Amino acid sequence: MSDLTPKDPRVEQAGASDESLQAAHEKLLGRKPDDGAHYKMLPLVLLFVFSGLIFYAGTYLNQYSARYDATVFNENGHSTKGVTAVAKIDPMVLGKKNFELVCATCHQVTGLGVPGVYPPLAESEWVNGSEERLIRIVLHGLKGPVSVKGTVYSAAAMPVFGKVAASGYNWSDDKIAAVLTYIRASFGNKAPAVTSEQVAAIHAKEADRKEWSAEELLKLP
Amino acid sequence: MTTAPQAADAAEVTEIDTSARWPLLLLLGSALLWLVLSGILALANLVQLHTPEFMAGCSALTYGRLSAIQETAFIYGWAANSGLAVALWLLARLGGAPLRSLNWVVAGTLFWNFALILGIAGIATGDMTSNAWLHLPAYVLPMLLVAYGTIAVPGVLAWTGRRKEMTFAAQWYAVAALFLFPWLFSIAQMMLVFAPERGVLQALVAGWFVQGAWTLWLAPLALAAAYYLVPKITGRIIPSYDFAQLSFWTLLFVGAWTGGRHLIGGPVPAWVATIAVVSCALLLFHYIVVAVNLRGAFCSGGSTVLKFVAFGLAAYVAGGFLDAYTAMRGVAVHTQFTHFSEGQAQLALNGAFSMLMYGAIYFLVPRITGLAWPSVPLIRAHYAAALTGTIVLVVTLIGAGCVQGHDLNTAAIPFADIAGHVRPWLLAATAGQAILLLGNLLLATHLFWLAAAKSVAPAVFNPAPTMEASVS
Repeated sequence: MSDLTPKDPRVEQAGASDESLQAAHEKLLGRKPDDGAHYKMLPLVLLFVFSGLIFYAGTYLNQYSARYDATVFNENGHSTKGVTAVAKIDPMVLGKKNFELVCATCHQVTGLGVPGVYPPLAESEWVNGSEERLIRIVLHGLKGPVSVKGTVYSAAAMPVFGKVAASGYNWSDDKIAAVLTYIRASFGNKAPAVTSEQVAAIHAKEADRKEWSAEELLKLP
Repeated sequence: MTTAPQAADAAEVTEIDTSARWPLLLLLGSALLWLVLSGILALANLVQLHTPEFMAGCSALTYGRLSAIQETAFIYGWAANSGLAVALWLLARLGGAPLRSLNWVVAGTLFWNFALILGIAGIATGDMTSNAWLHLPAYVLPMLLVAYGTIAVPGVLAWTGRRKEMTFAAQWYAVAALFLFPWLFSIAQMMLVFAPERGVLQALVAGWFVQGAWTLWLAPLALAAAYYLVPKITGRIIPSYDFAQLSFWTLLFVGAWTGGRHLIGGPVPAWVATIAVVSCALLLFHYIVVAVNLRGAFCSGGSTVLKFVAFGLAAYVAGGFLDAYTAMRGVAVHTQFTHFSEGQAQLALNGAFSMLMYGAIYFLVPRITGLAWPSVPLIRAHYAAALTGTIVLVVTLIGAGCVQGHDLNTAAIPFADIAGHVRPWLLAATAGQAILLLGNLLLATHLFWLAAAKSVAPAVFNPAPTMEASVS
């Protein structure tokens, strides 16, 4: 082959040897940017472009990342992280949970109690009857003899559940209302629900006091 | 500009090139066979898009499987084989010593291609997975990983055993690609195939892998070639070379974070897409620096290799800007999940990667074989076909995507009508793919003609001039 022109596409000729190519570029990397005592325009422009892109990136990230919340799928949505969710809780669910956790120890999960020791809740006149009395029993407790479904329990000792003095449980009015609603609608009982407001009203009226006796309660409506 | 002395300071072709002849020809030959196969399948696949009954009777060649085979043949057949050949050759030349353990390359290539044939047969018979760029069935994945490592060993040895402490941009990109692919590939295998993640995380890993395989593997392989060829052929120093490092590290750090751009508008937490949007924007810096560094390719001075390189670089940079543009949420609403994304993928794969590889192949084959390419018209015809085919394919797919995106967002247009509106664009895309295939057939024929060495002239190299170290 005789054609040695650099244009011949059959054999592309090199414009520089590898060695000199590497050496020439190595010199560039260690160079100070103000070679020749003045900055060049292009590097400055490139730096500004890069800074601009970083600024844009930061701003966009801040605006549309929804605080990296895995549950936010809309870039304009707001994260709920750190915000207390005010969810509506079903009193029957809350009531059942607390009843089974605490009350069932004595009254049993079935609400039938233990004959002669713990009075039953199922079809009890106290549970299905006056809300005024029922709320007070849970709020402040009950001590002394009490008659349930014709059986007298001579040494009843219902603990104090409300947020009152000497309470072992400090249940909120909401929680008491939920538990009462639950027991009035379970074990065959069909009494209406008890609201938090009813509990709160009695709580405010009676404030702190010692346990009720059955006699005192029976005087109430 | 180059008034450098013509003194023969170093022979242009040495034992470094000739010793690697057969292993590299094996890689390049298999690469081109896969390229032609993938081109034929892509053509059939495009035909199925507008004529669905085409080959619908054959289960192995139905649209889904054909598309998976086509993609696999392109990525793991053409791109992997050719990219590795170019990376190995670059690392050897710039390392200043012949490649060691070349038997490993041969064995690795044979195993790689055997596993690939097995995997493609698996896809055809229904063992494919549903992951983009990772359709291969589980049983060939470990073999591919080991074979890749085997092929890459001489490249790593050429890097660690290089004669000079100094490194050049082409080496950074080549070494990064060699090391990053096993990382991406092994994690994707574990998290998508062997112990698949569930729910949103699976989509995230899939997006990360597809994007990572492009930005951290194929793009660096192509850039390694570009960073070497441009100064090598023009004989001129890379302008603003100081920024090449920053640009390189930007690609490495930010590249894979753009994975979420495939999920914009999909059922993923908002921050995933937001990070991708931001990363696409940050990556613009990389693209700008590449354009500034390698602008010499656009004054090719009659060099055919540089014409390929110039087109590849233009496609690479344009693709980067297009990615950033379509990542914006307001735009993604129209382009996401349409033919537009396919157009972008073709711009990256056929436009950027393949073009840069063609350039590198035309440059290196005469050096490793000592033979000149037999035919000038074949080279010219290949360039014309590759250029036209790629442009037509990309433009029509993007056009189809725009029409499709508009129609999909207009509730009044029935779904069947959308297919009708897109059809002319897809017909044109089929024509583009046919031209592309023709070009690739020419290249493959040309290489095998040269390798057969019948009536082929030996290559004669002018002594390479010395590059002037002065800052221009």
